[in-house]
Amino acid sequence: MRRGDQLQGSLDLLILKTLERGPNHGFGITLHVETVSEGLLRLEEGSLYPALHRLEKNRLVEGEWRQTDKARRARVYTLTREGRRRLAEAENNWTAVSRGVRKVLRFA
Amino acid sequence: MNSWFDRLRRRNRRESEWREELDSHQAMREEWHRARGAEAGEARSLARKDFGGSLHALEELRAVHITQWWESLVQDCRYALRGFRRSPAFWAVAGATIAIGIGASTAVFSVVDPLLFRSLPYPKDGQLVSVGYFGPVDNNEFNVVSSYLDWRRLQTPFQSITSMEPQPSSSACDFDSGDVPRRVLCQFVEANFLRTFGLAPALGRDFTPDDDRPGAPVVVLISHALWGTAFGNAADVLGRAMVLDERPARIIGVLPRDFEMPQLGPADLLVPEQLNSARPRSQNSSAFLRTFARLRDGVSIRQAYQAMLPLYEDGLRKDVPAELRPEVRLVVRSLRDRQIHEVKAASWMLLGAVLALLLLACANVANLLLARVAARRRELAMRLAIGAGRGRLIRQMLTESLLLGLSGGAAGCGLGWMLVRLFVRLSPEGMARIEQARVDLRVLAFAVAATVAAAILFGLAPALEQPRAEALAGRGAIGSSRLFLRRFLIVAQVAISLVLLTGASLFVRSLWKLEDQPLGFRTQNLVTASFTLRRQQYRAAAAQSAFFDQVEARLGSIPGGGLFALTDSIPPRGFMGRPYSNIGIVGRPPVAANGGMVAFRWVSPGYFQAMGIPILAGRAFLERERASGAGPVILSASLARRLFGNQSPLGQQLVLDGDGRAFPVVGVAADSKNAGVAEPPEPEYYRLRMAHSDRLGRGGVAVFRTALDPALLSRWIRREFAAVDSTLPVDIQTMEQRVDRFRERPRFLAAVVAGFASAGLLLAAVGLYGLLAFLVAQRTREIGVRMALGARPADVALRVLGQAGVWIVIGVAVGVAGSLAFSGAIRGLLFEVSPWDVVSLVVPALLLSGAGMMASWLPSRRAASVDPAVALRSE
Repeated sequence: MRRGDQLQGSLDLLILKTLERGPNHGFGITLHVETVSEGLLRLEEGSLYPALHRLEKNRLVEGEWRQTDKARRARVYTLTREGRRRLAEAENNWTAVSRGVRKVLRFA
Repeated sequence: MNSWFDRLRRRNRRESEWREELDSHQAMREEWHRARGAEAGEARSLARKDFGGSLHALEELRAVHITQWWESLVQDCRYALRGFRRSPAFWAVAGATIAIGIGASTAVFSVVDPLLFRSLPYPKDGQLVSVGYFGPVDNNEFNVVSSYLDWRRLQTPFQSITSMEPQPSSSACDFDSGDVPRRVLCQFVEANFLRTFGLAPALGRDFTPDDDRPGAPVVVLISHALWGTAFGNAADVLGRAMVLDERPARIIGVLPRDFEMPQLGPADLLVPEQLNSARPRSQNSSAFLRTFARLRDGVSIRQAYQAMLPLYEDGLRKDVPAELRPEVRLVVRSLRDRQIHEVKAASWMLLGAVLALLLLACANVANLLLARVAARRRELAMRLAIGAGRGRLIRQMLTESLLLGLSGGAAGCGLGWMLVRLFVRLSPEGMARIEQARVDLRVLAFAVAATVAAAILFGLAPALEQPRAEALAGRGAIGSSRLFLRRFLIVAQVAISLVLLTGASLFVRSLWKLEDQPLGFRTQNLVTASFTLRRQQYRAAAAQSAFFDQVEARLGSIPGGGLFALTDSIPPRGFMGRPYSNIGIVGRPPVAANGGMVAFRWVSPGYFQAMGIPILAGRAFLERERASGAGPVILSASLARRLFGNQSPLGQQLVLDGDGRAFPVVGVAADSKNAGVAEPPEPEYYRLRMAHSDRLGRGGVAVFRTALDPALLSRWIRREFAAVDSTLPVDIQTMEQRVDRFRERPRFLAAVVAGFASAGLLLAAVGLYGLLAFLVAQRTREIGVRMALGARPADVALRVLGQAGVWIVIGVAVGVAGSLAFSGAIRGLLFEVSPWDVVSLVVPALLLSGAGMMASWLPSRRAASVDPAVALRSE
């Protein structure tokens, strides 16, 4: 499998997970991650966009310019079917890995 | 252009979209901060801080989009390389084929191109012609001063006609501009010489008609090179006074850097020839000229010839002795023809060889890549089936073909460069302009384009083909049209390489004949030392003869010098010639009028012994005869036969000079090659150089037959010369070296053509191998069935070989026909080998058939070792 097809780390996972709730723009994603993690996770906002674009190139999300509520244009991203599938995979993966890591950490 | 702009515009639009996206993010963050009570300015700077540099983000976005196609290119290349690794032999052969095709064709074309096609370094060079009498005296047309003066006055077809003195390349003049005396090469030309060729001095002025009047003060134009070496490119060289052959002269200009004499001779100085039109006409005029002219606009060479014919006939009557007239004709030919007349046939032949090789290379690449189709179809069908895009597959095939073409092309460029260097190194003297040969970029581009196009065309074929389900099973039938194409390619390859091989064997056989050629003298242990006296120092005949007498005495007493002789010239070339009809026999009617030329030499008594030329009748010259004044003559066997038939020439008296004095014939010497190694010997006579004779001219050659080491001997020879005249340059060579020069050209041709032929043979063998291997792989299943039904392995192998045999036979038949046509065309380049030489036809045909069968043997073995069980199971 091509390297570019794999999700690159947790940032991709966070983005996909956020988009699972519904289409959102970049700032919305940032805000959501901050709020839900209760400020524990702060995205470096500049690096969010390369990640978003890469996901779009790989057809995991779809971007589209939309009018937001406050008469402002923003690019809104939607999870694709492929994205949903990959998210499920990655979530499983992540859970397995983090469970494993936790066990190792406890054991030590 | 349009699409380029479109792309740029699209790119800009994309970038501004990205920027807008990043801006909108920051605007929202700013609003968010203000909603939390920040002031306007503060909110903005906070938002910017959170974001962390939008320029950087933009950069990363760009990278995301670029890596997309870059990554896939890298991936394609990696995939292609993996494919190359899987079948290294295939790709090595394909790459080498391309490299050989490109390298060889580019190199040879680069050498031939300046000869055949590149324009001469004169404006409107197509209008320039060489015009004059053509006779057996000379390889090139010449003119006579008195005729030329008439022509110049009365001619109509030329805008301008000009002349120069013919100069043997050894003729030198001495000039002294105040520092050191230099020996340089002068060319004596008419005042309008440069203007006729459309040139002007780079510095200073051209000659004027005033400079060209007899007795006018001498002015000279110096070459760009001499300007550098003798004057350090000083601007004040103009007007500088100098002494040229003891006459005061003045420099009036510098020639252009790329100036070239029309006859390609060397020139350090141009000096007005100052033709004297007041001199009386004489039929024995030794004042010869070379004449060149520029045609009027719209006048063809043919028309110019017709227009000059009456003038020529008039001049012939007035200036050429009646007995020579039947052998003389008018020649008007383009300057280019004159420059390349000797190498023209060779050049065209090389060009043909190049095209043949390039064709072979392309056919081979096509054949090899088509052979891959079989293996590829299955793989490609598989990849399509599991969802690879068609465009993706095409792109990958393209990458592979390009990678193959480019690596082969790069190797070809390197090979071409090396070959050009090699050719320049090996090339014989007098191969005009070869030192100008550079790898020609246009040809390189053409060769690369041709082979890479072949690679792409045939490499893409499998990807473009509509995939069929049966391909998945690895079973599909090959299109019969493609198989026909491949067989046609093989037959063509065999035929072309047979023609190349035949040509090569003809040249090699010529070369052998030439090297075995009896010269009439022995070249072993023979050392020669040639020299030309300075004009200014030896103006007086007495000074000349004193020099010769002194040098002869000194050289003759070198210890270990062996047999020694002094002569004015030595074979195989470089004799004085005069018309046969000038010879008179006392007491007999005049000899036949149109006898061509006769060679003669002035030699010292030891000449025949030193050269190893046998005396067939009578005796050699004696030392004591030199003082007697009797002036004996020795004839070559062919001249003796011609003058006296079967009678003995001994004791006959000959009149050789205009003064009517008679000289006795004392001996007959065997013929020796005196007109070059390849040409039959000219009739020749020898005269004894008398003591204190002033008739030797300024040039001489000392000959030593000795077992002494030539290097040691040459030191002693130089010491003796230096004792008489310390500034005289002496050129010392062994006779082997001198004779070798005459074999350089045939050796060069033979080497180049043999190189081509072996490359061609290799390519044809590889092509045959590729095709058979492919066919065997295709038919594994069929062969398996046959063997399961009882065919023996030997039968199967024979069937494959038989198939190859049919193609080879057809190819050889076509090739023999081609060879016959080809060898007729190169007849002029051969030496004592008939163009329809049976050996030269049969040996290559056998060689090619042998190589072809060997190439077929491996695949036939593979066919024979097919295991029916395995072959059938893979169904």
